[in-house]
Amino acid sequence: MKKIFAGILVLFVAVVLAACSGGDDSATESSNGNGGSNVSGDVIRVGLDVDPGTMDPRLANDSSASRVTEIVFDGLVELDENLVPQPALAESWENPDELTYIFHLREDVTFHDGEPFTADDVKFTFDSILDESFNAPYRSLYEPIESVNVVDEYTVEIKTSEPYAPLLSYLNIGIVPEHLADNADFANNPVGTGPYKMTDWKRGSEIHFEANAEYFNGEPATEKIVYYIIPDNTTRVSALEAGDIDLLHSPVSPQDIGRIESDDRFVVHQTTGLGHTYLNFNFEDPTIGEEAVRVAISHAVNKESIANDIYAGMDQPGKSPLIPSSWAYTDAIEGYEYNPELAQSVLEDAGWVDEDGDGIRERDGNKLSVVLKTHTEDPNRMQAVEFLQYELQSIGIDTSVETQEWPSFQESMQTGDYQVALLGWLNLVDPDRAMFNQFHSEGGSNYGSYSNPEVDELLEKGRTTIDQNERAEIYAQAAKIVTEEVAYNVVLYQGYVVMHVKELEGFTVHPGGYFKSLRDAKINN
Amino acid sequence: MKQLKRYVKNKSVVIGFTIISLVILAAIFAPYLTPYDPTEMDMSKRLISPNSEHLLGTDEFGRDLLTRLLYGARVSLFVGFISVSVAMTIGVLLGLISGYYGKWVDTIIMRIVDIFLSFPVILLAIALVAALGPGLGNVVIALGLVYWTNYARVVRSTVLAVKEEEYVQAAITMGASNLRIIFKYILPNVTAPIIVVATLGLGVAIVAEATLSFLGLGIQPPEPSWGWTLSVGLDFIRNAPYLSVFPGIAIMITVLGFNLLGDGLRDITDPKLNK
Amino acid sequence: MKKYILRRLLQLIPVLLGIAVISFLLLHMIPGDPATVLLGQEATPEEIERLQENLGLNDPLPVQLFNYLGSIVTFDLGTSIFRGEEVSTIILTALPATIELAVCSLLISLIIAVPLGIIAAVRQNTFLDYFSMFFAQLGISMPVFWLGVLLIMGFSVHLGWFPSFGRGEPLTEGFIHLFTTGSFSVLFASLKHLFLPALSLGVMGSAMITRMIRSTMIEVLDMDYIRTMRAGGTIEFLIVMKYAFRNALLPVITIVGLQFGNLLGGAIVTETIFGWPGLGSLVISSISQRDFPIVQGVVLTIALLFALVNLIVDLLYARINPKIRHN
Repeated sequence: MKKIFAGILVLFVAVVLAACSGGDDSATESSNGNGGSNVSGDVIRVGLDVDPGTMDPRLANDSSASRVTEIVFDGLVELDENLVPQPALAESWENPDELTYIFHLREDVTFHDGEPFTADDVKFTFDSILDESFNAPYRSLYEPIESVNVVDEYTVEIKTSEPYAPLLSYLNIGIVPEHLADNADFANNPVGTGPYKMTDWKRGSEIHFEANAEYFNGEPATEKIVYYIIPDNTTRVSALEAGDIDLLHSPVSPQDIGRIESDDRFVVHQTTGLGHTYLNFNFEDPTIGEEAVRVAISHAVNKESIANDIYAGMDQPGKSPLIPSSWAYTDAIEGYEYNPELAQSVLEDAGWVDEDGDGIRERDGNKLSVVLKTHTEDPNRMQAVEFLQYELQSIGIDTSVETQEWPSFQESMQTGDYQVALLGWLNLVDPDRAMFNQFHSEGGSNYGSYSNPEVDELLEKGRTTIDQNERAEIYAQAAKIVTEEVAYNVVLYQGYVVMHVKELEGFTVHPGGYFKSLRDAKINN
Repeated sequence: MKQLKRYVKNKSVVIGFTIISLVILAAIFAPYLTPYDPTEMDMSKRLISPNSEHLLGTDEFGRDLLTRLLYGARVSLFVGFISVSVAMTIGVLLGLISGYYGKWVDTIIMRIVDIFLSFPVILLAIALVAALGPGLGNVVIALGLVYWTNYARVVRSTVLAVKEEEYVQAAITMGASNLRIIFKYILPNVTAPIIVVATLGLGVAIVAEATLSFLGLGIQPPEPSWGWTLSVGLDFIRNAPYLSVFPGIAIMITVLGFNLLGDGLRDITDPKLNK
Repeated sequence: MKKYILRRLLQLIPVLLGIAVISFLLLHMIPGDPATVLLGQEATPEEIERLQENLGLNDPLPVQLFNYLGSIVTFDLGTSIFRGEEVSTIILTALPATIELAVCSLLISLIIAVPLGIIAAVRQNTFLDYFSMFFAQLGISMPVFWLGVLLIMGFSVHLGWFPSFGRGEPLTEGFIHLFTTGSFSVLFASLKHLFLPALSLGVMGSAMITRMIRSTMIEVLDMDYIRTMRAGGTIEFLIVMKYAFRNALLPVITIVGLQFGNLLGGAIVTETIFGWPGLGSLVISSISQRDFPIVQGVVLTIALLFALVNLIVDLLYARINPKIRHN
């Protein structure tokens, strides 16, 4: 017994000594990294917030899955920083008529396993996305596609059932190899054409990539990329400061930005993102269905304070569902200014008066009460909701907060089990994506059952009109109406933040958070 | 009197009791101890470091942190006491039934206890709150539903021991009703061990509430629970460390108080250590 | 002995079945389902409905439960909804990390608890005793996530001594590397990763063990044969270490079994903080994805582990202490 114990003790002392002595040299070489398993040499270490759910681009629906598939796969096109489609696997394309796109593919591309990339892979990719039983999360974006036809080995024709203006913006989805993608294991062992090959996926902790020397755009600048999964926003930034990672991007805690900015070891990029955060109003709810209540709530939202204090200037006060990084953006829509007095008088005029002096307004004996919902995964939204609770309470609305985990929250939204909810939209590469499903009477994401025939007509027209200027006008009209009727109150235009060590060069910041440009990035020591 | 002396002699009990009394007093007299309102926001005063005006600084909404913690004591103690009461009721009832009636009833109840014991408790609480939805009431219910097993086991073993005592056997043969036997002979004997388990349970419940808050499943704002204040404070740990340090200390001291008290009581009531 | 082990294992079956049923029902009570998560925010209600149908989530609950129990009894934990991999494979990949963490935490607990317990017992009712017990209690009084974050702030961000997240190579790899190449580097890196999470868990676990050591040692030190030895002039240190502590170890072994359960529970939160890729972070992320088969599988695994550890502890106990080998 004594021996066992002595053994344990010795072992432990060894452990502690080892850990401590190891600690000493790490302090001196901390910039050389000690996070995750040891990697050395020509490498960029990236911190991400969640483990990807899949590595199949057709199934990707979380941000990490996109970050992986962006560097492992290529799309027919890729979107530049201004969201304009640029050639990728397709060298060029043409529109012989409003219903047809013809893509001319590069002929020098091979998949990571050495097999050539051809038109058949393109057809296969889109056919499988459109296949209902494949359950692709973004299937609805491609639904207007009627057929994908192989013209010859390097020419593909895509036919839509009606003119579908946004299509090109969605064709940056990664093309998968027909000969492998049906393997049950493909989502875990992706093989693409992209600049990096996925070599090792330690679930929940790290993903390793190696440069694809055969990449058609030339060999990537850096030999290895490692993604580390660090769920907590604060810990992730700490890992950057501790020298455990080289680069991270949104989501970040707004309060960390200033500190990193003033630290001369790092570079911080802030730009407008492709999303907005908004209050969703449920028109089916008797209280919220009343326009005066929605207007009053909107006037009680101090967007400036939310943007500048809670979000520390990372996000901008929002006005309408058209985001500033979009070509459809217009500043003609003013939104609702913060004006609690006005909010109160709107309620007074609608008959909501505090008769019994308890600080809460009533009408016909019913208290004016509202439940604000949001999801727990985003600490900033939780804070914003806590702040709104106070603001609404101050104008005499009995307000309580209910935060739920994302799946429960999403179910609440889809079943209309809410009054007012704070949430957001991402990846709004086209105004159609920002508005059609959200505001069309038949839209799949029209949680609050908003319905206005005029808006329906505009949204349908916007979708089928090809001319961009004409579309911008249509969406501006629609956005004006939904804002006036307070279907949404867009609180914030989301910002996008990248932080990296200052030795990192060649990384281009993309508002969508895309990592395509990792292929040109390198750390110069 | 002799009894009291024994309590006073035990340092654990004295320190623990003092801490808990102070916390309870702070909770009761919170409005008199601070000039500030725990929910009133003032964004112009956000994130002020501790100073003479705001002894523990202000939080991300400009609210006085000390005030939040004083009022938060109410919430945390409420969570502790109510969830412990729920757990105790379930546990004592099942323990009594199990020990008193024995046979298959006992077997079934003890298997249920086994099931709960081999379940990672916090996971069970997470699942329960996720199912019921967050909020004060549901957190209390969930914690009560997962922490009852200790009471059941303690009560059961005491019942088994007491049942064999001659005077109880005598009462049974004389035809005393079950209820009478339970209330007259058995309950008085289980009070001491239950108080120990409950005191320690109060600390466990307060920590569990904090953990649930940390995982986003806790009490809803603007209720100033310590767990919520702490987990929000952690988002600011680099810029305003006091926002997470002080709530953490509040939790730590209170739980320490309950643990010291419970431990001391156990020493006193444990006959083995009382020679 | 064999009969005893067999009986204990048989007793385990109803418990595991109970856990399977409870966890199944509980998980299905949680709002939100995997289809919604899998398809993301932009999916249409029809698409979600279709996937729910495909996943069998629209079957009546009793049917789903029956199917699940049916596969459980054939040792089939099912397939992950998100990863499409066998749940058993996923669990076996994550399990070593958790065991490594739990074992090391236990070691740290002992390192803290043994000296504190001994000091407290030998100097019973002195300042040293109170101080030791106070110190031990502090550990269990802190929320483990708070301690974890403070450790990261202190030791990795400010001092840069330890990594702030993640796991190095498995310890076993480190040892293999050490024995095959004579280089400590891999083992060091792994230990550095392990230290902070193990410390935060270990501190939590030390309170109960300290208490146990203290109270048994007080009991033993008070026994007649020790008094006799003292009277006979045996050196105090020898008495404490050789006789008293040896006897105190017995109950410590039982408590270690119980403690193991606490550690697994604590690991759920700790792993999330430190990005430790074990069962804990697996189960938390699976709950948030509503990947029911994984959650159920992890719960069963933890329960089984807990039961096995306690069985081993009981066997050890019986072996060391022949008095109770009456089973």
